[in-house]
Amino acid sequence: MSSREDILQNIRRATYMKYEKPDLKPLEDVALSYPDRLEQFFLVMKQVGGEAVLLAKREDVNDFISRNYPEAMRVASNLEFVTCATCNPDRVEDPSELDGTDLAVIAGKIGVAENGAVWIEQDVKQRAIYFIAEKLIILLDRNHIVNNMHEAYKLIDTGKYGFGTFISGPSKTADIEQALVMGAHGSRSVVVALI
Amino acid sequence: MSTKHSKAAAEFLENKKQAAWHDETLWMVREKRDQLSKKVPEWEELRNMACATKLYSNSHLDELLVEFERNARANGAHVYWAKDADEYCNIVYNILNQHGVKHFIKSKSMLAEECELNPFLQNKGIEVVESDLGERILQLMHLKPSHIVLPAIHIKREQVGELFEKEMGTEKGNYDPTYLTHAARKNLRQRFIHAQAAMTGTNFAVASTGEVVVCTNEGNADMGTSQPKLQIAAFGIEKIVPDRESLGVFIRMLARSATGQPVTTYTSHYRKPREGGELHIIIVDNGRSNILANPKHIKALNCIRCGACMNTCPVYRRSGGYSYTYFIPGPIGINLGMLKAPLHYHDNVSACSLCYSCSLVCPVKVDLAEQIYLWRQDLDKLGKANCMKKVMSGGMKFMMNRPQVFNMALSWAPQVNKMPRFLIYNGLNGWGKGREMPNFADESFNEMWKKGKVK
Repeated sequence: MSSREDILQNIRRATYMKYEKPDLKPLEDVALSYPDRLEQFFLVMKQVGGEAVLLAKREDVNDFISRNYPEAMRVASNLEFVTCATCNPDRVEDPSELDGTDLAVIAGKIGVAENGAVWIEQDVKQRAIYFIAEKLIILLDRNHIVNNMHEAYKLIDTGKYGFGTFISGPSKTADIEQALVMGAHGSRSVVVALI
Repeated sequence: MSTKHSKAAAEFLENKKQAAWHDETLWMVREKRDQLSKKVPEWEELRNMACATKLYSNSHLDELLVEFERNARANGAHVYWAKDADEYCNIVYNILNQHGVKHFIKSKSMLAEECELNPFLQNKGIEVVESDLGERILQLMHLKPSHIVLPAIHIKREQVGELFEKEMGTEKGNYDPTYLTHAARKNLRQRFIHAQAAMTGTNFAVASTGEVVVCTNEGNADMGTSQPKLQIAAFGIEKIVPDRESLGVFIRMLARSATGQPVTTYTSHYRKPREGGELHIIIVDNGRSNILANPKHIKALNCIRCGACMNTCPVYRRSGGYSYTYFIPGPIGINLGMLKAPLHYHDNVSACSLCYSCSLVCPVKVDLAEQIYLWRQDLDKLGKANCMKKVMSGGMKFMMNRPQVFNMALSWAPQVNKMPRFLIYNGLNGWGKGREMPNFADESFNEMWKKGKVK
């Protein structure tokens, strides 16, 4: 008999009490919500070591980048309107070529007010760009901020690439004596630019 | 008769400064957890739903695992089933071997620790690199984790500095955590890029989508799985959740309970293999299905490995992870060890003051302390009860059943207060070890009652 059948049979033999699936609706109805989700999002982004900024109406993303990241030499993005990009992660054959990227500009789908997480549905060939760049700008529609994860999970998808990730602030670790350090393996800085 | 735990704990406590730091630091993590959980008014309802969801999923494992398998295959993943540690290790090895992998990068996986995957692969000539900073430090020191979430909590910055000086050529005498972390970042970046395969554990496996979900703060799982095209993920059968709605409940609790963060930096959902790549998923039993048949201990399968029970445990904080004989320490480790092999791991059940704090902080309501209490009742049956305690409770029973003897003993008791110290504090008196005995009252309550002194 295969291990699969063995395991399943063992499980069936050992299970004699079946529990019902709980109804999550009452919990979701009372879950954390905020009168001003945008304000809360700004607050929580600071707590997780990142930053949220509101782009002025008609402010060009490229101007924002050149003003705030003057030292960024290698800027990666596959977004058409990021004309200052020097590299398109869609056209990179080997993801290791993205090592040394100073700044990546990517698109977020949903922001979560309770924890600063932004859902990134992979929309670029090399998903390495989400993690390997030294600094990250996530562009997010300011109207796409939900209260909590219950709301977020009803809206997300993993798309054609079959990958998605919530990113909440910069990469961090406290593995040496619980001292918090930003920039463990992923981006050292994360700015969510709300448009 | 001291347990292995209490002997090891005594050694741990010899370094008073380090022991105090360990205690205070973990308590700080516990306090952060408190702050975060109190900001969520529906916290207790979340715990109830998390517990109920786990009881549902663990009692429908056959259906949910098959649903997961079907969906994962439809997504293009390869799915394997491993009965035990040996089969799991061999599956990983065969995948790597078939692809000619010699350099392999891993993110933290307690399942890999449980099955001792690293030594297995290294014996077969495959280089395994741990990518979580804490795990990497321990790997280079040839040590095992002492905590499931904060694996190197027992290591000092000076030790890391000296290690990195040797391994990564960092400046001599520079023990700054930021400097050392960034040195490891640079060093491991090359390992990520040159690895031929990457492996992760799994925090949650979602049946309805066939995806595996991995939570990290460092981004090491994602750095690994976005470089080489060959990806392996493995999970124990109890990691299954029915759908994304249920997943939301657990994601809201995991990081808040573990480190006092609102969520981990990265919560990644791996559903399909990368373009031109492969995704291999291994479903592992290794004794878990046997726990299902044990109603008193079934909730141990609820565990999401957040480590909150360790951070709150007064015994864990003051004795360190290495004092326990099972590879997972603290309250959950005591229970999992007993479920694995009671005759082997019974030493740990004494490492508990029955304060029940673990049961109260557990986000998925594992009845940790209640279960430890139950294991203690079983010690005698296992032939592992403490002899001295048995003799003492036998004596107590004799006395309590005979009021005359009891009253006589009470009237003599104050004499003990006047006895020389060596007669009271010696090997025969377990209660006198490491603590001062209270004095017996000159007059018993009974006597006082009879004389009308009790109002």
